[in-house]
Amino acid sequence: MRITLTTAASALVLAPTSVFAVDYLSADQAAKLMFPQADRFESREVKLDAAQMQKLSAQGVQARSATWPVRVAYHGSATLGYIVIDEVVGKFELISYAVGIAADGAVRQVEILSYRESHGQEIRLPAWRQQFVGKTVASTIQVGEDIANISGATLSCKHVTDGVKRIVAVVDLARRNGVLG
Amino acid sequence: MNVTATTVAWVRRAKPLLGTIVEVGALGQHARVDDAVRVAFEAVADIQARLSRFEPASDITRFHAIPSGTSIAIEKHANTVLMAAQSLRDASGGIFDITLGTAPEGWRCERSHLHKLGDKVRLDLGGIAKGYAVDHAVDALMANGCEAGWVNAGGDVRVFGDTDLPVSLRDEHAGGVRQFAKLRDGAFATSHFGHGSRSQAFAPIPVQAHASVAAPLCLWADALTKVVAISGDTANPLLARYGAQAWLH
Repeated sequence: MRITLTTAASALVLAPTSVFAVDYLSADQAAKLMFPQADRFESREVKLDAAQMQKLSAQGVQARSATWPVRVAYHGSATLGYIVIDEVVGKFELISYAVGIAADGAVRQVEILSYRESHGQEIRLPAWRQQFVGKTVASTIQVGEDIANISGATLSCKHVTDGVKRIVAVVDLARRNGVLG
Repeated sequence: MNVTATTVAWVRRAKPLLGTIVEVGALGQHARVDDAVRVAFEAVADIQARLSRFEPASDITRFHAIPSGTSIAIEKHANTVLMAAQSLRDASGGIFDITLGTAPEGWRCERSHLHKLGDKVRLDLGGIAKGYAVDHAVDALMANGCEAGWVNAGGDVRVFGDTDLPVSLRDEHAGGVRQFAKLRDGAFATSHFGHGSRSQAFAPIPVQAHASVAAPLCLWADALTKVVAISGDTANPLLARYGAQAWLH
């Protein structure tokens, strides 16, 4: 083991803070990873009406949005499953993630697509979040400053876990109503 | 670029596991590295299923269901973690307490059996099992041919191979991260002890600190952060026993 301090602990409070961002997978990469047998993906839009939103609410799920873009994975004419991309905001972090759901409605895979650590309050500002929209990944990782790892204590994935539950409920509803073909 | 099966490439992925985000980075042959990363995530999920008190079939949940004075047979992962927790409890004079105060002496682990010595004892391996899961995932990367890599479970990180991993500390109050160290062939963990922090349950007296520990294995780095924060002693003699260094900040 070798540890080389870049900042003495006593000077840590004075050290400048920086933001931190990692891209893991693009939406396309995640879709292919989750459904490698798929020969095509089609985009659908699930629109929930007020009654459906209420139905979800009765199950303890806040739908949050009335419109959910869903990618459907096909092999020939067979539906393999669905992929939904979502993002959640924590105290300091913005996490975008993908949920892969099999044709029978069971969760197949959850992948973090990107992680953004903010300085703090700016995470609530649409302008700060907008800067990441449409960013893609696939850049080779350089060993060096790029691969900084955070050691913190309070990072919780509760937002992601709640988000996965919400997506499962929305896809289930859409599937039963035949919206996803 | 012509990518062949023998080209060496970095892969970096993250999943929600262990109640946090688990990140795996690995350097390996193009044809094998994706599989190695998948197996590493499976190793983490396996430890979660076996050791979490929230998992209905885990050894911990089974232990909670038995009466005092009886025991259960436990599998090897639970045995490794509980034996480590037991030795640390005894060596730290009870500072390290996986019962979170419910009955520090209410359990004993012996020859792959977990004995219940009191009715009130509740076990929570949250202060040590995350580090063990990281070690288990690193073992998976190495066994699957990776040349270098790291696993970071919400701040409990271990790196191996020819890589200096920059480690930054998150500012828990104001946000942002600060560069702290470069880590090579070892583990690093941070715990936050303060009002509203889960780890507060470990502390008999109110403390307000971040404790970071570097050690060769992540199990010890993770567990020793609790000992350091509660004892307030970065020169605690236990650290040397596990080849560890500590910082309070």
